[in-house]
Amino acid sequence: MDGEMMTGNLAAAWGARLADVDYVPAFPITPQTEIIEALAKWCENGQMAARVVTMDSEHSMMTAAGAAGATGARVFSATSSQGLLHAFELLYSVSGWRVPLVLVNVSRALAAPITLEPDHNDVLAARDSGFLQIHAETCQEVLDSILMAYRIAEDERVMLPVIVNLDGFYLSFTREPVSIPDAGQVREFLPPFRPAHLGFRASAPHALGTAVLGGSIYSYFRHQIHLASMNALEAHEEAALEFNRLFGRRYGVVEGYRLEDAEDVLVMTNAFASKGKAAVDAAREEGRRAGLLRLRMIRPWPADAIRRALVGRRAVAVLDQNLSPGQGGILFQEIGACLYHEPLRPRALCSFIGGLGGKNISEGEFRATFEQTAEAGIRGKGIGPVLLYTEAEHSEMTQLQVLAAGPRPNGS
Amino acid sequence: MLAIRFHGRGGQGAKTASRIVGTAAFLEGFVAQDSPIYGAERRGAPVAAFTRIAREPIRERGIIAHPTVVVVADTSLISDPAARVLDGVDEKTVLFMNSSLSAEQLATQISLSGRVTALDLTEVALQRFGKRGAISALLGAVAGRLVGLRQESIHEAISRELADLGLAPSVIEQNQVAARHCYDAVPVVALETGSRRVPGSTRLRIPNYEPPSRGTARISAAANSLLRETGGWRTFRPVLVPDKCNGCWLCFVYCPDGVISMTKDDRPVIDYDHCKGCQICVQECPTRALVAEREKEGEAAWTAK
Repeated sequence: MDGEMMTGNLAAAWGARLADVDYVPAFPITPQTEIIEALAKWCENGQMAARVVTMDSEHSMMTAAGAAGATGARVFSATSSQGLLHAFELLYSVSGWRVPLVLVNVSRALAAPITLEPDHNDVLAARDSGFLQIHAETCQEVLDSILMAYRIAEDERVMLPVIVNLDGFYLSFTREPVSIPDAGQVREFLPPFRPAHLGFRASAPHALGTAVLGGSIYSYFRHQIHLASMNALEAHEEAALEFNRLFGRRYGVVEGYRLEDAEDVLVMTNAFASKGKAAVDAAREEGRRAGLLRLRMIRPWPADAIRRALVGRRAVAVLDQNLSPGQGGILFQEIGACLYHEPLRPRALCSFIGGLGGKNISEGEFRATFEQTAEAGIRGKGIGPVLLYTEAEHSEMTQLQVLAAGPRPNGS
Repeated sequence: MLAIRFHGRGGQGAKTASRIVGTAAFLEGFVAQDSPIYGAERRGAPVAAFTRIAREPIRERGIIAHPTVVVVADTSLISDPAARVLDGVDEKTVLFMNSSLSAEQLATQISLSGRVTALDLTEVALQRFGKRGAISALLGAVAGRLVGLRQESIHEAISRELADLGLAPSVIEQNQVAARHCYDAVPVVALETGSRRVPGSTRLRIPNYEPPSRGTARISAAANSLLRETGGWRTFRPVLVPDKCNGCWLCFVYCPDGVISMTKDDRPVIDYDHCKGCQICVQECPTRALVAEREKEGEAAWTAK
């Protein structure tokens, strides 16, 4: 094996280091903190030429990041969960300014109740902000996706910020072999940032994100953001080809696993997709023709690639590691919408909700998922949302409820 | 794939041990993956860490449900249901215990389905380092030996991982020497890595709606921290030598958990059900009237009621 053992957090820091970023405004939050610690150490000892500044909140952090990017600096930052939500209103401003910075989000489920472990309600809350989103499955992919993110973001056809997402714990604190790209080759892949529309020079003032009342002007500019985001599909493909030429790793907007002859397909994202692939292998050993589609780019939504992968299947199960209360799985809705017009759409579309708050998805739960999906495919009618949550887990929950309630006031 | 699960207490070095084994395997050309799991971590609280070693890319992530080897840094964890030390252990699993008892003694004391091996790493650390501290290098060496990694790669991995923590070269070398001793001394049990039973599909249970008094994360029970006896977190206990005590109350002031109370004649009384064994009182006592004594299995050891 080449490379070295490193956590997803360290891989994220290496991405920023190799991208030769200028400025890193930061605010710590578990499980993101190691990223900032690594960058601060490298800047302190001269291995990186960036300026790391700790801010008083994520709101300030995002303001500083966007403002610095607007002057033409290459900006990196990282946050997680409540931190991302605290920065929220700025996300829409930064994309409106068309500042192509890269923000890493280390997924952590949102309060309340409070936890540290991951699901994707944090990052998916930002799906309408104008940021592009790339979701990584491995530590290697974290590093590589940050380099690709800068190239796509800074493309004149795009000029939008990007969120690169990695799961807390399952990637952030997990070490696996990561190959560190050569800095010289990265410079070839990622030329210096020279945006035509941004910059800060004496006697040449600009105003950015100005007031536009009346709606029509606003419509034009927001629609420009939509078009820019859609252009990122093409920019991604070009960046992926060049990345493969230089570094020998090929990334798609989606990734198919054992799809060739698959009857039933499980759709997943992020680190748990690794477990999903293992579950596909196990299902195949029992004679099921199962496959997996991993969504890597969430914004822009790669509708064509998803359709190509899913039309003609017997059943499709979307395993959302998120929950939109009152609706269900977020990605399930989007998959359903993009398959609706296909004459050969799957006979059944199933929605599963799993891994909330980092809950493990056991082999037995994956098995149940494949069984229920196959049955739905045979019936020709989808199911869901089905929560992946077991009998055993529920009996533990019931015990905790008794402890939490305490003795009844009248002793009964 | 080999799957090693480490159980220890915060500060014992379970996480670093998992990294030492991961790095050693990686140095030998394997694909490796290591990760810890902990909550709001504190010294003494149960910690688990996982190392997976394979020839092919590793698709599993997170907790190891079916370990090849379980390394237990502190046997008091076995009786703590929250630590889940014996989850997924079957007759093929190799269980290593850091214990002063022999494998045979342990097997009779605790009914275990796995195959047990043991070595007193805490005693090795006391002898070689002369103080209580992390035993990550020793745990790593033992685990590495049990899964068949080479001594040289363990040696190199200890150097890398302890240097990463900022330890001085002399301390690292001391750890390497002690680890070498444990690598050679641990009784080896052959691994059985044949295919295991495939689990059936799990019964899902979708909860029904319940009124908010149950359906919100709300704790109404008062003073429930009393119920969580943390005495089992100790690997060492503070013990009073009454003749030396000058009644200064400093131990009472410094105790971070409020488990020291004072008698009318100014002598400390320690609540061993809740003392976590941090030894701050031992450190702060100006007359050395509090001393640290190692908890021993089967005798002085505190057990959960």
